[in-house]
Formats: sequence, structure tokens, C-alpha cells
Amino acid sequence: MADINDIANESIRKEIEEFVERPEEKGEMIAVMARARPSMQDIGAAIIQGHHETVDKLTEAALAEGIDALEIMDDGLINGMGIVGIKFRDNFIFVPEVLACARAMKAGMKHIEPILSASGIEPVGRVIMGTVKGDLHDIGKNLCIMMLRGAGFEVFDLGVDTSADKFIDAVEEHGANVIGMSALLTTTMPNMGRTIEAFIDADLRDDVQFMVGGAPVTPEFADDMGADAYGETAVECVEVAKRLSVKK
Amino acid sequence: MQTVDPAQFQKRIDRITRMFEKMIEHADEQSLVRCPYKNRFDQCTAQFGCRYRRPANQAGALPICTSDDKLDYRPAWEMDGATPVQVQKP
Repeated sequence: MADINDIANESIRKEIEEFVERPEEKGEMIAVMARARPSMQDIGAAIIQGHHETVDKLTEAALAEGIDALEIMDDGLINGMGIVGIKFRDNFIFVPEVLACARAMKAGMKHIEPILSASGIEPVGRVIMGTVKGDLHDIGKNLCIMMLRGAGFEVFDLGVDTSADKFIDAVEEHGANVIGMSALLTTTMPNMGRTIEAFIDADLRDDVQFMVGGAPVTPEFADDMGADAYGETAVECVEVAKRLSVKK
Repeated sequence: MQTVDPAQFQKRIDRITRMFEKMIEHADEQSLVRCPYKNRFDQCTAQFGCRYRRPANQAGALPICTSDDKLDYRPAWEMDGATPVQVQKP
């Protein structure tokens, strides 16, 4: 049976001692972390801290050393996110920290992506995401992006206050065929429809599928504005994006 | 360049998806009582204005959220205009 002192990384030891309270989870975390080589523990620790630059460098170095990509995923990225999930569930950290950790995970995955391509593994789909013009609320969109990337999508994040032109430029630049638009305000919600109209005017409507979501958005509104799909939650967003990706 | 077995990779994707689904469920529940833009240091990470936001004591730090989470935080959000407030990434 592994002991906490079998874990080389001090930061991981502290994280487990301080934040993993359930005995069965603590035992499991100690076991998986102790099994991981020190460089993987370092990646896990950087994930937990949300240090994307550190994850970036450590993952690149690990691959250069010849460490297997799946080992990096298992023992570094996923193990780290495992502790993040426990800390979030038990209210030690909150959504902004989780998003920073997800960003760190993406920084690691960036180095694994070429290996996936070389192995014939393509992204599940390519999605462009943005909060519509006039709207600065991005948590819902960011959680959707976290889910989509976790599910194997390539996501291009246009951020907040995204004009129709920016969506059009992004489609032309990245060749994505699914666009996700989010809005939190009733006042900005109509900009979803205006964006779709801009795609019609640019003769690009048939090239893309639109999925929409956000607190005030309803399936009926989505339908009225001419969107292809509506997603109520970030979890649902993945299924919707999968369905739309297959369409084109 | 090394390669990976697609089936093995898919297992990892499934594991990550399950992990993230739980986080999303928790985020949804938590958003009923706590503003999702508020970090663990009770700082505001939103790019828009909010009546609960107060300037930070230190230069360059994130603004402070003064909400006590007992009331719905959403009416405090400033809904007009689209001029982003400068915030640092957490």
C-alpha cells in the first residue's frame, strides 16, 4: 500500500493532505500519484495550480524525453484534473480556478495533438465559439469550451463581444463547420440572429451549422432566429456539436 | 514520432468527459448560490461591471467581490455597454 511520502512532489503531497478529505479517495489519489514518475507528478501539480505555461514546458520536455503520450495524459494531466475535480466538488476552489486548470490541461494537450494526428486520430469536430456582439458574459461559453475540448473537439475561442464579421473571418481561417454562440442578455440575444443573417448575406450559411445557448435563450427562440440547434447546458453542448459535426 | 492507439486514446477522452460532466453539474448547482465569476479569494474575474465589485487594495490585483451570496447576484451585473473591464486571468 502506497504512502503519502512515496509521492516525490511536495506540492502534490500538500494538495492531497489538505484537500482530499474522503479516506477512500485519499488512498486512491496517493496510490495513483505515487505510481507516477516524478516528472508526471510535476505536470499534475502544475495542472492543479492552473499554471498553463509550466504544463506547456513540462509536457513538451516529457515528450522529448520519449515518455508515452498516454502516460502523460494518465499520470500527469488526468491525475492533476482528478484532484481539481475533488477540490471543486468540495468547494475549495470555484469556477474561475477550474477554468484556469482546464486551460493548463489544454496547454499540455497541445503537444499531444500532433501525435494524435500522426496516429490517424482526428478531432471529433471543429467548433468556433463566441459570446455575441455587445455581451461580455463568458462563463457559460468557457464551460462549454472546456467540455468540448475534453470530448476531443478542436475549439477556436473568439471570446466575448464577437461581431458577425469575426465569426465569418474565423470560419474562413479555421475551416470549422460548427459555430457556437452564447448570450446572457435579452438585449444581446438578437445578435445571434443577426450573425446568422450575416452568414446568409456572405453566402456562407450552407457551410456552417449554428448552435446557440445561454440563460435567456430558448429552443423556440433558437428556431425562430434560424439556428440549427439549441443546447441548454455545457454537457448538452457536446452532444449537439457532435450531431452538427456529422451533418456537414 | 510516437503514435497512440485510437481505442486507448478514446478511453482517456471518455474519462475526461465523465470528469468534466461532474464538474459542470457542480458548477450549475453552485451558480444558484455563488457568482461563477467569483474566485476562491473572493475576487471578481468578470469582464463586465457589477455593483458588488470594489477596487482591489493592491495595484494590479483583481477587484474584490463584496457579495455575501445570500441574495441573487445577477441583478448586480451591469447589463449595458460592451466595454470590457480589464481583468487578469486567474
